[in-house]
Amino acid sequence: MTNRTNGGSPVTHPQAFHTVPTAVIAEAEQRDRYPKSSELKTLSAFFESGQKRLEIAAALTQNADKIVAAGANRIFTGGSPMAYLERPTDPIGMPGSRYYIGEDYLSANVRHRRGKGTSITQFKEPQSIDSTNTLVDQIASLFAQGRPSVPSRFRTISIAKYGTARMKRSMRDLAWFLRYVTYAMVAGDTSIITVNTRGLRGVIPEDVTLATVVALREMQWKAGQCLLPDSNAAALVKRYFEVLITDYLVEKPDDRLRIGVSKLHPGQPLPQSYYQSALPTPKLVVKPGLSETELQEAIRAAYRQVLERDVTQAYGLAASDLESKLRSGLYSMKEFVRHLGKSRLYRREFYEPFTISRVIELAHRHFLGRGLSCLEEFQTYFDVISEGGLPALVDALVDSQEYADYFGEETVPYLRGLGIEAQECRNWGPQLDLFKYSAPARKVPQFVTTFARAQKPLPDQHPYGVGNDPLEIQFGAIFPDETRHPSAQPAHFSSTSRRILISSGLQNGRRHNGHVEPNASAHLGRVPGLFGQSVFKLEPSHQPERGSHPQGPNVNLAHHSMDAVILGAYRQVFGREVFDSQRQDVAETKLKGGEITLRDFVRQLAYSRAFRQMYWENLYITKSIECIHRRLLGRPTYGRAELNRYYDIAGKAGFYALVDAIIDSPEYAQVFGDETVPYDRYLTPRGYALRSPQGPTAWGKPRHNPAIAGEWMAAQSTAQSAAQSAAQSAAQSTAQSASAVAVLDRQAEPASMAPSPVPNLAPEAAAHNGHPSSPPAAKPEPMATAAQPSEANSP
Amino acid sequence: MSIITQAIANADREARYLSQGELNALRSFFEDGDQRLRIASILTANIEKIVEKGSEAFWQRCQITPSNSGNPTFRASCLRDQGWYVRLITYAIVVGDIDPIQTSGLKGAKEMYRSLEIPLRNVVECMRCLKDAALDLLTLEDRAEVGPYFDYLIQGMTP
Repeated sequence: MTNRTNGGSPVTHPQAFHTVPTAVIAEAEQRDRYPKSSELKTLSAFFESGQKRLEIAAALTQNADKIVAAGANRIFTGGSPMAYLERPTDPIGMPGSRYYIGEDYLSANVRHRRGKGTSITQFKEPQSIDSTNTLVDQIASLFAQGRPSVPSRFRTISIAKYGTARMKRSMRDLAWFLRYVTYAMVAGDTSIITVNTRGLRGVIPEDVTLATVVALREMQWKAGQCLLPDSNAAALVKRYFEVLITDYLVEKPDDRLRIGVSKLHPGQPLPQSYYQSALPTPKLVVKPGLSETELQEAIRAAYRQVLERDVTQAYGLAASDLESKLRSGLYSMKEFVRHLGKSRLYRREFYEPFTISRVIELAHRHFLGRGLSCLEEFQTYFDVISEGGLPALVDALVDSQEYADYFGEETVPYLRGLGIEAQECRNWGPQLDLFKYSAPARKVPQFVTTFARAQKPLPDQHPYGVGNDPLEIQFGAIFPDETRHPSAQPAHFSSTSRRILISSGLQNGRRHNGHVEPNASAHLGRVPGLFGQSVFKLEPSHQPERGSHPQGPNVNLAHHSMDAVILGAYRQVFGREVFDSQRQDVAETKLKGGEITLRDFVRQLAYSRAFRQMYWENLYITKSIECIHRRLLGRPTYGRAELNRYYDIAGKAGFYALVDAIIDSPEYAQVFGDETVPYDRYLTPRGYALRSPQGPTAWGKPRHNPAIAGEWMAAQSTAQSAAQSAAQSAAQSTAQSASAVAVLDRQAEPASMAPSPVPNLAPEAAAHNGHPSSPPAAKPEPMATAAQPSEANSP
Repeated sequence: MSIITQAIANADREARYLSQGELNALRSFFEDGDQRLRIASILTANIEKIVEKGSEAFWQRCQITPSNSGNPTFRASCLRDQGWYVRLITYAIVVGDIDPIQTSGLKGAKEMYRSLEIPLRNVVECMRCLKDAALDLLTLEDRAEVGPYFDYLIQGMTP
């Protein structure tokens, strides 16, 4: 059976390594205090030495080739190893990279050729970079002093025998080691080296390990030579390399294991490197003979863990006798935690305001430092709490085997979050939420609902998750109306799933010459079901007629003038009217002169810097493709198969090829041809409401919306409601009703006016404003209600 | 995420050494380090004064607010929260990045205050008073450094 439970996947940014400032701040934050003066001194020293370290890093970067060459020449013979060192090639500017690279400034011709799918990957022959230098260097270095000796077992490796592929890999790795040394130098902390190299030895054959160490020693020596005038700098570099070599040589450390809950839910391993890169969590232990400050700190940590706040400051705590019992040794930490759980305060904060399911979830956080693990576990504790209430639950958790294993008698419980131990996949989202400061603000149980969802068949859901993506391409899906806590809940969307697209009615026109006339009804301007869209089409007078191409009946309205078409094209492609500086004047002139077709004009708009910035540079790739596809082809993608094709194009050939692929597609030619501005072909009422100035609320009262309900009905309902309210207010007071009528008169005009092509929901707005019983906008805040209990929950 | 980790992550993603521009940015970060530490220690030393002055001004501006209603618990927790936010600001100043404010000060904070039925407008007002009180202690040059962090916090809290 596959496990379909999925708690969502909120983004996390795991700690990759430490630097001095992050380590200091994290430590202070975990203990809820200001940085100590000793820590500030550490920081001060860090900042002062900063210049020095930057200089070293810059020097190493400058001499990088020399240093790597020295290491490589020592272990390889019979050729120039540097020839195999590949520079990182410029990546194609992928969406989300937030930078703009030269590839994209290529001339249109070159771009076009690239886009057409000519061979994109050219293999570069290995070039010799400083082969002239190396020989001189080699000779010179033979006589230099202090060169590291070589272990007797070591034999140099012949390049010819070693093979090109392995050579490339070796050279890449040597450069990689040096790069990480420069990073560590800048960070002022060796943790980045440790995290990345510890245990590497285990994955590399033994003879290569020996050679690598020889090369690293040589590089260490060479780097020292490069910095020689400054002996301090040389010593620092030497130390960093030393750390690198030691960590490289250490055996791969064992995984950290998480203890399983039951046989059905066994434990999980966490690679040691994740643990190392995480910030250390203080594990406070209360033992007899502890100093007062340490004891104080441990007690505060216990308060923070169990009550989620620093009680000593804000509450006259009734637990002072508990504290004294802990101090006198009568209670162990475990008993102290147990009694905190049974205290009045805990009951008031974490039991009374919540449903039982949520109480159990929060209690797991407080006493075990993790979320619920599985449904069986929940059921067990649900039994306990319904039998004996909160005290029984606290006892059950504190007496559990897991508590004893992790915290024992003396340790203060702590959160076992990311980096401390492996996290369960099915719990991922709820667990991350549970560890947030704001967890008690959420009253709805999260774990239980997640587990329950696993039992149900696949939901009708959008692959991006509920409300996770502002694109309104949520066709054929039913969403819960939760806006406060939209869960990041991805649904299963397999490669064969296909979106159901609901046509907005534009294509339901007559059949013409055997194919569907793209916008047969468009010439009528506005039809029910169009949702305020208009289709812009160039008049044939602007375009030389192509003999065989059938044109629709030419019943054009005023908005088909050239300027209107251009404006419509901007609106469709950019989703708004652009600023003057963003207009593509050259392309406009060409279009007006009949040099390019409208299709090419749209292509030029899509090529523009502004479009690229909006829909490519700042978005992740799937979203980027969805947006561009929707803008240019007027529909969302059908599913994974189509998306995969676009991924391929985007990844291999870049942005411009993607645009070309869409505009040159047969579908575009069939639906829009050369003269029509693309339009949204699958626009749902909800989608239309979403992009109206009032946002999704406009959908709340579709009756008032002429674009959706039709003009007659909208006018009818507006007039009705206005009349109703007028009657109401007349009963209340004559003065009010007079003003209501005045408002009614004023709004009669917009209600009957034909709506403009842009979403214009003026009648509804007028109806709102004219409603006398609705509260005036500048109503003074009811001050009396502001004095509410504040129980500020320390985040 | 401080400026250092950011620079390293960028360079690592493209498999290159740190560029000259990044090194220069880091250089100025290191150069300003002492100033930032000095500000942080001034704030740390005067925390009680800042909170006292800030809350006085706050209660004058918003007389009807939970913490001014005479309930000692509300009063104490209001003071504690103020101190807590000033501490977050010192963290941010030391790291030179808004990240500490963002991750532990703003995420979910609005919802939390809302669920506790504390008017957010008053919270924002309180932050403003806190900012005034804190900036009073600093020189003109230091104010320019600290001000933006407070502004970011206020911006994030604004309902």
